[in-house]
Amino acid sequence: MEGKSQGKVKGSRIKRKKITDRERLLRIISLCLSVEYKSGDPFKVEVRNILDSLRRYLPHWKILEDFTLDAEALNSIASIISLQGNWIINRSTSLYVDPLLIELHIKMIDTEKLVNIFSKSWHPIVEMEGLSKKRVEEAVDYWNQLIPLDERRLKLPTPSAALNSTSLQELLKMKIMSNESFNDTLYTFWQKLRETVSDRKKISYWSFIVSDTYDETIYRAYLTSFLVTYGYAHMEVNRIEEEIFLIPYENPKKNVFTEQTISIPIAIDRNLWKSKRESDSR
Amino acid sequence: MSNDTAAYMRRVKKAAKILFYKRHRQPGVKGWELRKTLGKNYLSIIELLNRQLENLDFEVKIVYETGEKPEDPTNEQLKQARFYVTLKKPLSKSELVLSGWRVDDVAALTVAIAYIISKQGKAPRKEVEEILREKFPKWRVDYNLNRFQRRGYLNQDDSGILYLNWRARAEIDQQTLLKLILAEKT
Repeated sequence: MEGKSQGKVKGSRIKRKKITDRERLLRIISLCLSVEYKSGDPFKVEVRNILDSLRRYLPHWKILEDFTLDAEALNSIASIISLQGNWIINRSTSLYVDPLLIELHIKMIDTEKLVNIFSKSWHPIVEMEGLSKKRVEEAVDYWNQLIPLDERRLKLPTPSAALNSTSLQELLKMKIMSNESFNDTLYTFWQKLRETVSDRKKISYWSFIVSDTYDETIYRAYLTSFLVTYGYAHMEVNRIEEEIFLIPYENPKKNVFTEQTISIPIAIDRNLWKSKRESDSR
Repeated sequence: MSNDTAAYMRRVKKAAKILFYKRHRQPGVKGWELRKTLGKNYLSIIELLNRQLENLDFEVKIVYETGEKPEDPTNEQLKQARFYVTLKKPLSKSELVLSGWRVDDVAALTVAIAYIISKQGKAPRKEVEEILREKFPKWRVDYNLNRFQRRGYLNQDDSGILYLNWRARAEIDQQTLLKLILAEKT
């Protein structure tokens, strides 16, 4: 009995010790975080002592939670060492001034003098905003085509016929669904682009997508956007000349979604389609 | 004018057009965009443009991603850097007032930026607020700190730490600012 109770006491001591060590780990992490976020002096953290302690605690850890905390503490120490490096670099540059000195000065200097100081060290960016003739034309077109708000607010008419479900055949006929998978369609379209470009390396975006009908043009623009997004072709935009070119890749690019990409919205209305078609036929 | 010179001048004009006209939400152009439009020797074109702008007291400023100018910038660092056109000489006090800034707002910006620079480029918002609230009411401090962030002078992370943002790095000569503050007799 005595042996058992002694064992219990010993066990609870170990448990208490573990809790204390864990608390120490938490304190180390919190100290490192406070130095990191409050821009405190990273040399106030005694890295060597902490690393010795971590080494001492390590054999006691048994459960996953302890190991995770240990790793977190080690990671915090690594951040502190990195901060110490930056601290030395900063102090060795001409930009280093004691923060207290700056704080004292800015508290004492009056508003007028601060403005004077700012004006002597401020070199504002020069930027201009302007509209090109093309943009103004697009805006006018947009305005002319825009339905008045009152009309847009009108309720949708109630359907005259009874609602029925649509069969697969009808959806195929309406081109809402297709027998061919989207990937196959895209692949065929890519081959078409490569054939059209052949030896020229690149082709004007408009001459490639503009077709005999407006619907077909929209469909081709839609597929082209997927060709570019999925890495089958590259879109080259010349902002100054306002020209867009398509350059098909020899092989589809891999890892396209891991690269930083940008979206290029291209509006195509009927008037634009007509004008592009006319200029193409000329 | 020889063909070469004419071609160079065309590219200088193109560079001016790209740099002056704001095309994105943020002003300025990345190095890779200039390279794409002006060609491989875009830096010589920018140098030529700089010479032309010098007469008008403007200059092309390059702000690197790290904030500090590397000793010998690599092609990659230049591609990622942002190029701006800025005023070469600082504005006079009267010109500054004409630029639409209130005097006390400029003072608040100066204090916030100087404090953050002295704290190695980052400081808790609370500390900046504390120092500003010694001279400005709370509502004005909040309004200004948010406004400085919207304008791109400051940036705040999720933990409430304020950093210098792209506009402060491009427009403010940090060294001169600190020197003048320290030189001011209080």
